[in-house]
Amino acid sequence: MAAAVEVAALSKIFGSGDLAVHALTDINFSVQEGELAALLGPSGSGKSTLLLCISLILEPTQGRIAINGKAIYDNGWTGLDVRRFRRENIGFIFQAHNLIPFLTAQDNIALSMQLNGVSTRESMRRTGELLRYLEIAHRGDSFPASLSGGEQQRVAIGRALANEPRLILADEPTAALDTDRGGKVMALLKRIARERRSAVITVTHDKRMIQGFDTVYQLNDGRLALAPTAEAAAV
Amino acid sequence: MDLAAKDIRRHVGKFVATIVGVGLLLTIVLVMNGIYQGNIADGVWLIDNTATDLWVVERGRGGPFNESSRIPGDSYKSIAATPGVERASPFIVYAAQREIGGANQQFTIIGYDVMGGLGGPGRIVRGRRIEAPHYEMVADERLGVRLHDAIALGSRTYKVVGITRAAVDSGGNPLVYLSLPDAQEVLYLQDNEAMRAARIANQRRLERTGLTPDQAAKLLPALAGSTDTINAVLVKLIPGTSPQQVRQHIQDWLYLNVYTTDEERDLMLEGRLKRMSAVLGLFRSLLVVVSIVIIALIIYVLTIEKIKSIATLKLIGAPNWVIVRMILEQSLVLTILAFVFAYGMVQVIKERFPRTLVFLPEETTLTFGVMLVGGLIASLMAIWHALRTPPSLALGG
Repeated sequence: MAAAVEVAALSKIFGSGDLAVHALTDINFSVQEGELAALLGPSGSGKSTLLLCISLILEPTQGRIAINGKAIYDNGWTGLDVRRFRRENIGFIFQAHNLIPFLTAQDNIALSMQLNGVSTRESMRRTGELLRYLEIAHRGDSFPASLSGGEQQRVAIGRALANEPRLILADEPTAALDTDRGGKVMALLKRIARERRSAVITVTHDKRMIQGFDTVYQLNDGRLALAPTAEAAAV
Repeated sequence: MDLAAKDIRRHVGKFVATIVGVGLLLTIVLVMNGIYQGNIADGVWLIDNTATDLWVVERGRGGPFNESSRIPGDSYKSIAATPGVERASPFIVYAAQREIGGANQQFTIIGYDVMGGLGGPGRIVRGRRIEAPHYEMVADERLGVRLHDAIALGSRTYKVVGITRAAVDSGGNPLVYLSLPDAQEVLYLQDNEAMRAARIANQRRLERTGLTPDQAAKLLPALAGSTDTINAVLVKLIPGTSPQQVRQHIQDWLYLNVYTTDEERDLMLEGRLKRMSAVLGLFRSLLVVVSIVIIALIIYVLTIEKIKSIATLKLIGAPNWVIVRMILEQSLVLTILAFVFAYGMVQVIKERFPRTLVFLPEETTLTFGVMLVGGLIASLMAIWHALRTPPSLALGG
């Protein structure tokens, strides 16, 4: 299996001198294609900072991040290059779903494809397939406001999958859902990782949701440690 | 995918309400354009309609429209005898406010030589010109009178023989045409009580000089003011005659002021209409600025409402031009549709408006251009804010 993401000796320091805050210290890990990894940690532990670094939003102070074998910092990319790389290689799933409220479920997914240069006709065909895969084909013409939380998150997952990325970053994807719906979303993410060979990194503080994860990392005060097993971390 | 169109379709009610609001503001801008040009058209029309070459008025005066001018009623005869003059006609013009048709109305009376003289009515839509020397009138339809109505002015009643349309003075007040003697009578004729009071006052003035009451009473007729005065003489020149030569002759020999029609028009534009134009211009500018500020605020608020969506778009890799296009498009749609609404509104109210509205295509186009550029500038604040929005805003709850 190839590594979808590799993080080596990553550090992020905000400020300098006496006011310096070490948000991340010497982070090392990798996630393979088809692997489902969880990033656990309390609030302020550095989860979001790590996610921002992997998302090409926040440049680390030290270290290296590679996605699909490409170093994503110190490579001379322009802002346009960064955005192109992001839409071609990374799918995002948000805590609050973040669907565009004035677009239908179908358009929310198709938009990601069209931003990537896919024609309207082709994007609609592929969106239809994705909606069927996510079992919400009947809600394609609905606006986000008329969808349930679980349905909205499925549409958001569909959008993340739109360009068939090698890496999916999920930021607290179950935080806004009840246990039942959250469990279903997690099951769907596992299925996606297995069937579509995408690496899925899920940031969560909800230990109940990490059953069945391949790898569980624990972040504490900016330092990453591998939890022995997902089940152990869930205890 | 056209995000701006999708957003508008989703929030069509909000957009329509905004377009109507901004459109009403732009309606006021266009109406002010129309009032301004209407004033010029009205004021200039009255001058142009007289179809004369020269205007002769009291010496040192800028009359007859901008300043009062009184010259003897028979002075037109001397002017007619001037070399190069084909025709000279007496002309009187004054504002009046009387009760007509149950309403107190302001209008302008024009008295002219109805027997072939210059300065008669134009734009007659019903009836005819005045043909009798007395007790006939031609009035504008804005006065609310009908053909063959009998209208009381002073102590006489005048029959409406003709109706004009859009024959108004520079203030938009309807014109009433009378024969010269009738216009003089309406202007100067006092009722019995007023005449008695004037006679008593004159008698007392004479008695204060040391005259006996009998002596003063004998002198009273000499003090009565002449009612045979006019405001101007309209002059038609023999074709090929130099207006400057005739003007010089009248100024030197008759001690009167002479204006060409162009000069009279300039007097009107520079005098009566200049201040009005400045005031309207100021209001128009302010309204345009207010409209652009309102559009800017609306676009800014619409963008702020979408700020999380914009951050999400950035995070999922949308290039900046997608976001800029969305904001610009909405700003342009808002500006253009508001202008179209305003244009439609002025077409509807144009005929019902109490003042003459004249819309010059070039002025309307210029206003549209200014609004379009203003709309683009208005969206800059929103675009700036959107481009500064970090994609990280999409993360978190």
